[in-house]
Amino acid sequence: MMTLTALAAVLALTTAQPEASLTLTVEGIETQTGSLAIGVFNTQQGWDDGTAVTGRRVEVTGMTVEVDLGALPPGEYGIKLYHDVDDDGELDANLMGIPSEPFAFSNNAMGRFGPASWSDAVFAVEAAGTRHTVRLQ
Amino acid sequence: MTQTRRDMLTLMAAASGIAALPGQVFGQGGDPVFEGFEAARRNQAWTLGYSDAPADGFDGVARRLHGRMPAGLSGVLHRNGPGRFSRNGWRYRHWFDGDGLVHAWRLGSGGTVSHRARFVGTRKWQLEQEAGRFLMPAFGSVPPNSQGLRGPDDMNAANTSVMMLNGELMALWEGGSGWRIDPETLESRGPKRWAGELDGLPFSAHPKVDPDGTVWNFGQAASHDMLVLWQIGPDGALQRAELVRDIPGGMIHDFAVTDRSLVFLVGNLAFDAMRMPFLDSFRWDDSRGLRVVVLDKADWSLRRSWELPPGFLFHVGGAWEDADGTIHVDAALSDNARFAVQGVQDLMRGALHPDTDGDARLNRITLQPGGRYRVDGFDDGFAEFPQVDPRRVGLARRYPWHIGWQAGQVEGAREVVRRDLASGQTDRFIHPDGTIVEEPLFIPMGSGEGEGWIIHTALNLTEAATELHVFDALNLADGPAASWRLPYACPLGFHGCWRNT
Repeated sequence: MMTLTALAAVLALTTAQPEASLTLTVEGIETQTGSLAIGVFNTQQGWDDGTAVTGRRVEVTGMTVEVDLGALPPGEYGIKLYHDVDDDGELDANLMGIPSEPFAFSNNAMGRFGPASWSDAVFAVEAAGTRHTVRLQ
Repeated sequence: MTQTRRDMLTLMAAASGIAALPGQVFGQGGDPVFEGFEAARRNQAWTLGYSDAPADGFDGVARRLHGRMPAGLSGVLHRNGPGRFSRNGWRYRHWFDGDGLVHAWRLGSGGTVSHRARFVGTRKWQLEQEAGRFLMPAFGSVPPNSQGLRGPDDMNAANTSVMMLNGELMALWEGGSGWRIDPETLESRGPKRWAGELDGLPFSAHPKVDPDGTVWNFGQAASHDMLVLWQIGPDGALQRAELVRDIPGGMIHDFAVTDRSLVFLVGNLAFDAMRMPFLDSFRWDDSRGLRVVVLDKADWSLRRSWELPPGFLFHVGGAWEDADGTIHVDAALSDNARFAVQGVQDLMRGALHPDTDGDARLNRITLQPGGRYRVDGFDDGFAEFPQVDPRRVGLARRYPWHIGWQAGQVEGAREVVRRDLASGQTDRFIHPDGTIVEEPLFIPMGSGEGEGWIIHTALNLTEAATELHVFDALNLADGPAASWRLPYACPLGFHGCWRNT
């Protein structure tokens, strides 16, 4: 009995759900230099503390860039991204922390006096694959 | 993945992250604030001061009422103030939310006075003009279905003051960038961009200019007990801008300079927690006194502090410093912030409040070494918009000027007042009933302190017209040396600057 329970648990862990593709289209890229830094999150906590499940850094090649974010288990996700115009590896901000490089959140969510919230940014990645589009602010 | 070394967008005139809140529900019965004000407009003349200006602004010529243009007086009075309060049947809750309307009153040497006013073409103004409704949260209002913000400049109303900087007019707000304006046409040129990490930082509406032309200013991040300080050379080039921490987060609107120091009076309307609208983030907290923080102009890490009885203020007149470090400062102090929080909200819904317990009086504050102080108030009326001779900014002086009013004058100020701090005498002119006096400005002439002109605009409710009055600054009691009247009424403004031509 113990063996069966343990086996079931192992199976539950290893028999992962089929993975789904997530393709992100980023529009509204005004400056054709640098790269896009993209973080993908799958929990409120990860969203709030900045722990991404995956991420990409892709070169800017036009006013619109399409990014393959790989295969992910279907479920709820949120995306944060910014345009690293000067390619220095960080989101440039003024002394009080207000970004001076373009950024966006999934669902084109916007904060009021801070980052967009997880609940505004969360969207579903379906088993059949999902395409998501955001516009830089 | 670490997305940034700083929190993203952590500060609005500053604050840590807050979830977006939905706009207030716009019920089917219409907006009670809009409807309340529209009802008052039908029979209460004072509402002219808080009514929407035409979207194209104003162009007109003022008719001379009496007197002559004083010899040698030639220039432009620029003013700024909120001029658009409602869209699509919905009205702002707070006077300070209205879009900036910048004026140019041109006083020609031939005695002519012409007037032009244009709305500042902020991002907010342009988007909202196009949409036909308010889109952005404002300082004291959250319009229905309003949007998120990338930063404070998205809600910058550019509505509080103006200054000339390096040949360019800047429309100033409190929580974001100055807005560049062509001083001749009043066309907007976009936000003032400083370099890199200074971009988009708050640049308050009350910069101070030393007699040598050095400009000092601050911007506040009340939620983080933080100021950014600005020092700009007479040539308009930035000399220094840095963050200064541990400045108590009471709302700071204005400050003063001495020849050696920057003087911040921090009232008891204090940042509590980030709420929408932003004004609601502040709560009255008199568990401490009104705090004064004095920073050394040369070394911003050097400070002195005082704690005065609790109070509130918008405006400081000026300050000077004795050899032993004693600082003299005059300011318009009130016992509470009721006018700022509630009084102006009543105005917006069409109600005047007879209650003057939140009105300000001019006070002389003496800050002595070792934390000792004296506060001496003038008890012969209420006061706002204190002014000094610009040649005496930061230096020992004899006179402040201000607007004044008495209990029961609920529509606004009718007086323009000069105080003689040496003799204790008061020089006062009282305009006729039905006049609302706006900020007086001092225009130097001659060389001695006080030699020059006091110029102020006023809303004449009886004539439904805005007027311009020029006084001999050392003899207000005799009344205006000359006055002009426009063929229309402008909404009441806040602050201005004078530019010789």
